[in-house]
Amino acid sequence: MNIQDEGQGCAGCKAKATPKWQQDFPIEWEADHYVTRREMVKFLTLGSLLLASANWATVVASRLLHRGSHVERHIGSASALDQEGSMLFRYPTEADPCIAVRTPEGKLVAYSQVCTHLSCAVVYDKAENGLFCPCHHGLFNLAGQPIGGPPTRPLPRVQLEQRGDQLFAVGLEVV
Amino acid sequence: MSLRRQGTTLFSAMLAFVGAAVVLQLWLLTVSMEALLSGAFKTLIPAAAGSSLLLLINAGLLRYVFRFDRDAHGERE
Repeated sequence: MNIQDEGQGCAGCKAKATPKWQQDFPIEWEADHYVTRREMVKFLTLGSLLLASANWATVVASRLLHRGSHVERHIGSASALDQEGSMLFRYPTEADPCIAVRTPEGKLVAYSQVCTHLSCAVVYDKAENGLFCPCHHGLFNLAGQPIGGPPTRPLPRVQLEQRGDQLFAVGLEVV
Repeated sequence: MSLRRQGTTLFSAMLAFVGAAVVLQLWLLTVSMEALLSGAFKTLIPAAAGSSLLLLINAGLLRYVFRFDRDAHGERE
């Protein structure tokens, strides 16, 4: 048998071993997987680009939200606050409830009324000398720091200015 | 080891690395969203910078893939 015959014999064996459909549609499995991995790296890098863009979009969104927190807004009179001990107002927008409190030391403080745990509204508790969240019994002291219950983050502080008897909210400070 | 086999191994490792980086970016986005909604804006820029760094690494690896392909084609021709 010469070399040509051997070659033909092997080709014949291979042809018998592979089914007809595979002879008609030969698939290079290794090459196919090679391409898939490469395509996957491309796809994941595109996903990476989208995720990084989304991260920067949150930065832009925060700037837009923050811009509104430096507006000046009249919130009421100091005499009314002194009578009640606390006063509710909205700042920086109508959708943001806040609370102003006159501390026993006579200091005026104001915070966002939205609990940093699950966003319930906190109320002034004279007995505890703090801001109490009735939903899950969270408690903040009058410096805005969480001292009891599930909240772990302090309340955003509203900066106030008193002009005569009138009170103005002038900024929101998130710690 | 053939160039193709080398490429397959290399691409598997790169795929694992890029996949891990994308998962990390997903986590950073989750953290950013939570920070945005809670008003803790200080977290956002470091998270975005970290995400961009991972993107740069991924883009560098992708560039390497393209160059590897170009070199492989060049060797074949």
